[in-house]
Amino acid sequence: MFSLTSRLRFGIRYAIVPSRRNASDHSKNKLRGPLAQDVSYFRSVLARPGHSVLDGTATQDVKDEIDNRYNADWTKNYQGSSDLVLRPQSTSEVSSILKYCNENYIGITPQGGNTGLCGGATPISNEVILSMEYMNRIYKLDDYSGVLTCDAGCILQSLHDYAEEKGYLFPLDIGSKGTCQIGGNVSTNAGGHHFFRFGGLHGTVVGMEVVLADGRVLRMNVDVSDDDNNDDCTHRFQQSSASLRKDNTGYDLKQLFIGGEGTLGIVTKVAVACPALPTSKNVALLVCNSYSDVLQILKTSKEELGEILSAIELIDSNTMKFVQKYGSGIGDHLISELLSPEVEAADKQPLFILVESQGCDQESDSSKMDAFLTSLYESSTIENGFLAQDSKHIEEIWGIRESCNPSVARAGYVHKFDVSIGIEAYMEVAEEVSDALENANLSDLTVCVWGHVADGNAHINIVSGQCDKDAVREETIENIVYSSVMKRKGSISAEHGIGQSKRKYMSQIKDGAVLELMSQMKNLFDPHFIMNPGKYLP
Amino acid sequence: MRKILVPIKRVIDYAQKIRVDPSKGAQGVQLKNVKMSMNPFCEIAVEEAIQLKEQNKGAEVVAISVGPKQCTETIRTALAMGADRGIHIETKPDVRGDYIDLQPWAIATLLKGVVEKEDAVDLVLLGKQSIDSDCGQTGPLLAGLLNAPQATFAANIERGDDGSFTVERETDTGTETIKLNASGKPAVITCDLRLNTPRYPTMPNIMKAKKKPVETISLEDMVKELGLDLDEVLTPKHEVVEVYEPPPRKEGETVGSIDELLGKLKERGLVA
Repeated sequence: MFSLTSRLRFGIRYAIVPSRRNASDHSKNKLRGPLAQDVSYFRSVLARPGHSVLDGTATQDVKDEIDNRYNADWTKNYQGSSDLVLRPQSTSEVSSILKYCNENYIGITPQGGNTGLCGGATPISNEVILSMEYMNRIYKLDDYSGVLTCDAGCILQSLHDYAEEKGYLFPLDIGSKGTCQIGGNVSTNAGGHHFFRFGGLHGTVVGMEVVLADGRVLRMNVDVSDDDNNDDCTHRFQQSSASLRKDNTGYDLKQLFIGGEGTLGIVTKVAVACPALPTSKNVALLVCNSYSDVLQILKTSKEELGEILSAIELIDSNTMKFVQKYGSGIGDHLISELLSPEVEAADKQPLFILVESQGCDQESDSSKMDAFLTSLYESSTIENGFLAQDSKHIEEIWGIRESCNPSVARAGYVHKFDVSIGIEAYMEVAEEVSDALENANLSDLTVCVWGHVADGNAHINIVSGQCDKDAVREETIENIVYSSVMKRKGSISAEHGIGQSKRKYMSQIKDGAVLELMSQMKNLFDPHFIMNPGKYLP
Repeated sequence: MRKILVPIKRVIDYAQKIRVDPSKGAQGVQLKNVKMSMNPFCEIAVEEAIQLKEQNKGAEVVAISVGPKQCTETIRTALAMGADRGIHIETKPDVRGDYIDLQPWAIATLLKGVVEKEDAVDLVLLGKQSIDSDCGQTGPLLAGLLNAPQATFAANIERGDDGSFTVERETDTGTETIKLNASGKPAVITCDLRLNTPRYPTMPNIMKAKKKPVETISLEDMVKELGLDLDEVLTPKHEVVEVYEPPPRKEGETVGSIDELLGKLKERGLVA
């Protein structure tokens, strides 16, 4: 059963963190929220307390700010009741905070850009929110290896801009890049549009600095100091490496924190290997009539575009119609052209595929793309398509893809799913779910599918015209979607993570021995269970 | 309506960051492996030409471009948007179109020759300016050389049954509407942003465009054919003295509180 506390609109103060299932860990029940003396302590250890400590008990203004900016998540499905936000400016401040909280059994919810989709950065009660937003320095980008070292609070877009200046491409790209922070991306192992080309963060993150619950700082192939006043060099002799591309000297602990969702420690710095900035980019938006055509496109693109293929994304017509209706306007004319009245009249349900290539030779890449599109069109694999002629078109096509999530959110109440399925079965789940919803007499629901089709990752968003949140309806829909996925041995969370929303399924989807080890790991890193309580592990 | 001539220019894509290498002197704009595309105002001109063609059956739209061999791609885009045929005056690869070598006077001179050679040209539609040199001179120069009526910065164009063109044009304070009477000379109109939204050349049109004729002729041959002097055309009338990147904007400072802001303002003597 899922924890009802996470769905309540009004935060409730708990002295005890609720819904524990693992009774053997008594320490968990000792967690408390911060008190006045704790706030005083934090004010004394943080360098700019007026800046770094938001005490919700002080004034209504501060309380409102905490509620609006930090206590609710982007989807507005989760609401915490924290009264204290701490915004440290250095690793040593993070360390002091955690050490103190650990000794006093105060729960901590780490938060980055607060753009997560599973409530992982929202307190379940009155935990202290530790926001990384002021730790946003970019230290360096090695001109030869392309390794970029920065603070965890850096906004993803700023990393893209910095790397681009130096002729490099930051290998992670997602729709929320204007707001999300790299620490959060790393902690959720965000996938994004270019996962297909560059692989995930487990591969591209080459170094990390993490603060553990007890305040210890783990430096793993990162060696920069953010403490200009107190540059303690002694640790540098102990730590052996910095920003190297390869280092096989021991267990790769940083992998635990990638996708660890802040439950084992707080990521404070990262070193990411960036590929060279491609000088030639081509983007096309294709229209096809059936998923078997899409499968053909996947095969053909690998053959004809080969190493320059950088992204393939799918958008179904339900989604495209919502983008047309509720989008920001970007790409409107293009959508009208491709979703023309003739298409509507013929009652077709076209599928749209975005194909992107990135390389270093304009002419050769353009002619490859041209040949690719021509062969698809002549073989009737695609019904129509559009190849971007300039940057404006490229922005429009990607704009359409990035509008999917916000447009659908404006269309109604969204039951959000992010699943991994075998590529062949990608649309089967959506079709099966549509049928099952009809059979269950659940009305006024539109099943929208979009996502990283080449990764087998589908974002299934079921839009309800009804705005009220009916827990039973919600659970029925969840069961329908997840059973369809699980019977195909898929994953119920391809890239969005577990957070609060998928925690209850962990025991069903993970092998017993695996869960046991994870539990033991959690006990080892965070014996007092202060790190992001109520999330991730059951 | 008979022929509409649309000169189009292949320029550095508007979103590209321009890099300047001052050690190379005034020629130091980095052009290697930089994304190029059709000048946005030329795109608007092509769209307008197609719309006029759609309203006036029998009209022929001819796209013309002066530049290196890659210009054929730019012409193909115009054809995919609906132009009927293309003329590519091909220059040698090292001849620069961004005001260093070819300048508006030379282009206007060539275009005058083409208009006269083509005959039956009722309208020449150009972009108001190109985004590399920002001159805005080619249209007016061409009108002058042809002794033809002109309207620049068009935000709206209406063709009258008598062959006249009523043009609403952008001014600093609003718009102005003028009428170009039918004169036996082609009307020369330059297009501004609000005129239209260029259509998207989708696959069926791209496929059709592959079959449309594009005449390629070298600059030297065209000059000879038009009876012009090659030196006259290739020697720029203006010399570019310097090209430099604008100085980087000074970084602002973030302050943490109103008190801090006040402190800084007082420090700088901006507040008592």
